[in-house]
Amino acid sequence: MMPVSSDCQILKEDNVTHSFCGLACVGWLYQKIKDSFFLILGTHTCAHFLQNALGMMIFAKPRFGVALIEESDLSKAEPRLEEVIAEIKRDHNPSVIFLLSSCTPEVMKVDFKGLSHHLSTDKTPVLFVPASGLVFNFTQAEDSVLQALVPFCPEAPAGEKKVVFVGSVNDVTADDLRAEAEELGIPVGGFLPESRFDKLPAIGPDTVLAPIQPYLSRVCSRLNRERGSQVLSSLFPFGPDGTRAFWEDLAAMFGKTVDFAEREQAAWEKIKKQTALLNGKKIFLTADTMMELPLARFLKNAGAEVVECSSAYINKKFHDRELQALQGVKVVEQPNFHRQLEEIKATRPDMVVTSLMTANPFVGNGFIVKWSMEFTLMSIHSWSGVNTLANLFVSPLLRRESLPEFDDSVWLEGMMPAAGK
Amino acid sequence: MRLAFWLYEGTALHGVSRVTNSMKGVHTVYHAPQGDDYITATYTMLERTPEFPKLSISVVRGQDLARGTSRLTGTVKQVDEHYKPELVVVAPSCSTALLQEDLGQMARASGVSPDKIMVYAVNPFRVAESEAAEGLFTELVKRYAAESPKTAKPSVNLLGFTSLGFHLKANLTSLRRMLRTLGVEVNVVAPWGAGIDDLKRLPAAWVNIAPFREMGFQASEYLKQQFGMPAVTEAPIGVNATMRWLKAIIDEVNRIGAGRGAAPISMPDLRDFSLDGLSAPSGVPWFARTADMESFSNKRAFVFGDATQVVGVTKFLKDELGMQIIGAGTYLPKHADWVRSQLEGYLPGSLMVTDKFQEVSKFIEDEMPELVCGTQMERHSCRKLDVPCMVISPPTHIENHLLGYYPFFGFDGADVMADRVYTSAKLGLEKHLIDFFGDAGLEYEEQAAEGEVPSNGTFRSHDAEAVAPPEEGDPVMTASPDGEMSWTAEAEKMLGKVPFFVRKKARKNTENFARGIGEPVITAEVFRKAKEHIGG
Repeated sequence: MMPVSSDCQILKEDNVTHSFCGLACVGWLYQKIKDSFFLILGTHTCAHFLQNALGMMIFAKPRFGVALIEESDLSKAEPRLEEVIAEIKRDHNPSVIFLLSSCTPEVMKVDFKGLSHHLSTDKTPVLFVPASGLVFNFTQAEDSVLQALVPFCPEAPAGEKKVVFVGSVNDVTADDLRAEAEELGIPVGGFLPESRFDKLPAIGPDTVLAPIQPYLSRVCSRLNRERGSQVLSSLFPFGPDGTRAFWEDLAAMFGKTVDFAEREQAAWEKIKKQTALLNGKKIFLTADTMMELPLARFLKNAGAEVVECSSAYINKKFHDRELQALQGVKVVEQPNFHRQLEEIKATRPDMVVTSLMTANPFVGNGFIVKWSMEFTLMSIHSWSGVNTLANLFVSPLLRRESLPEFDDSVWLEGMMPAAGK
Repeated sequence: MRLAFWLYEGTALHGVSRVTNSMKGVHTVYHAPQGDDYITATYTMLERTPEFPKLSISVVRGQDLARGTSRLTGTVKQVDEHYKPELVVVAPSCSTALLQEDLGQMARASGVSPDKIMVYAVNPFRVAESEAAEGLFTELVKRYAAESPKTAKPSVNLLGFTSLGFHLKANLTSLRRMLRTLGVEVNVVAPWGAGIDDLKRLPAAWVNIAPFREMGFQASEYLKQQFGMPAVTEAPIGVNATMRWLKAIIDEVNRIGAGRGAAPISMPDLRDFSLDGLSAPSGVPWFARTADMESFSNKRAFVFGDATQVVGVTKFLKDELGMQIIGAGTYLPKHADWVRSQLEGYLPGSLMVTDKFQEVSKFIEDEMPELVCGTQMERHSCRKLDVPCMVISPPTHIENHLLGYYPFFGFDGADVMADRVYTSAKLGLEKHLIDFFGDAGLEYEEQAAEGEVPSNGTFRSHDAEAVAPPEEGDPVMTASPDGEMSWTAEAEKMLGKVPFFVRKKARKNTENFARGIGEPVITAEVFRKAKEHIGG
């Protein structure tokens, strides 16, 4: 047990769990940064992962690909990527190429920094992005991508006080956040990342960084260190509670006092049907997307009983406010799935928030399940995302109610002979 | 170093886990970094497994490597405690294979009985999905199959049926239906649904049925050598092959039965194989003879996929539907020789052997067949070219895991295939009408087809961001392969009168013709000449 400032106890286990590696971030980032190419130096496994688990069908020539390490490449001193890079430039003419590491070349101790430096040109920089499953879980490699972009963010001069939102969101959400900030009289410097490499925001000593995704601690602390930017410490803008805190705290950093008590109340009022359903429900979050802390905090404030909130990585400083808000909740970092499964079976929570790999088996075991990955793909930020967020949790409950009685002994027969007696 | 965009075959681990996910009481421990168990999602989402696939990862973190520690021992112990498997299969990943660790020693240090641990240290850089699956299954059969008294009644084992197999459940049902009609019992299906005890009693069956060249064939060879068990290894794809398959089973059963003094079995009335017990077992022989199906004889078909399906489907199209085969290919180089020998006399040229989908797509584009039978990738390539395509081969896709009964094996499978050929290709009277009257009001289909975005993966969210949109500037869609060719407005207008489903083919043929006569621009005159030259 490690005590943190908030007295919230974090139990740390051995990370034997079911989730994706950092390469998963390619799934949304290649679509977000439209003049980019994501090149993974990896193996058959990496390619098969992107193709199958993420459902990324290769229609023509997508803006990502795997430079395949085959057996004959293992004995070579350093991988030669010149031809692959030339092919990418010929077919896509990207403004930037992200070179992502994966497990095998990291075990081979490939000098990625040297490699990317060697392949980089002024016209088309090749940026090294550490992303392998040896270090990074799921959403976490977005942090690496953003760090790779840091040197290309112009220096904002001292005295230019603007907010830069940190985290990739779709354009609608970005517009919404920008409009809200402007309404509060907060000057907006932009987003990291923007939808184009050549439009990166200026960041300087008076920039206020507002992280809008909970898995980006490293890029924030790096910008704080290198550029002296201040990092907003608040709740993440999910749910009425988080959104209120986020905007009030951000406004405060711009010397503005904002009281959103009524607005928060109105937002709760708008979702009272949903919170009535969530009230008193026991909810268990297994570790997957690293959005677990703010999601659990919203659930707790919505009246649910969070029996366990687990996440692959918890940063006591970056997540401080969320941890404070989760006081009394069992919080586990790097959980052990075997232990969780036994506890879930014994305590029978009303809902399990869990990964793609484990969702249907939990349903088969009689639980109501929410896929955690959906939270990474839906617009759940700020005031306009409140309804979507609440509905994501409520829809599996309602759906279960609307379906007829289910007799396992009849309707599961033959579905998975390996599970039979 | 090459740039890979899409792969037909999965990894070695995919093969290993397909076997263990099929079996009772067998758990895979995968010594690998975070995320390498993504493969679990293919079972839970494609097969919608109501239980947890028996696959656990023994996570290797960068810091473990730096410290020289391994969690494998602990993971094996945890798995044993929590799931109590009869066997733990330990396998390396791409990255941990390079570490050259002694997985056996680390696994045994768990204190779990060595009898319950099997290290399958396949080289993931050399071995891919199908070879790893077959290799592991064969190892398991060798490890457990034991001399057993033969069953009293004639019986068979069905070998090679494996999780994520192509139309697995329906094929199995089709075979079970026929075997029941034949009066032959099923002793064991493996690995699908089999436990260790089932593997032990494999030799109790009279005959092995191993219809997949990629999976189960080696095990049947081993059982033949070790236990003298005869094997029927042809896949019953099409009516002809199904009749041969039934006769082979009858012969083998009677050969064994004669030695045991059992009464021989004989071919039942063929009506008994039909769904209602009153009809022909398949509609295919009559369907192929009907007048409007005469147009089949002009249809040029191309077949691409694994080994078993490519051989079976090619023979079916040519022998039973009377189509022309313009080519066939496989993405499994290890089985290419077998496919070649099976298809001798069927192919006008050599067998295509490639794992690069672009090469397959290029062949289709050059030849513009009237029917392509391929994988999901060919379906996609064909959609862009307006070439009719039906999916006949793994890798499986969510659409190959439908609820209804769509076998490819047996009499029922022959009907399903013929239906799919019929609905995929434009045929018979419909074709004449469209040829004669032009688009016949079907133009809208063109836009509809281009607007569709299929997804290959297990994750299908209602949010559009989850699926890759078609890329802009797709070279196949917008430009002719060699660029430069331009069309005058008048020629374009004439092209517009060509029925939409052959329009791309007409465009390509015209451009080839123009290139041949050195014309850089397609004018109305060039178009007319080309039409005359090509003969229609």
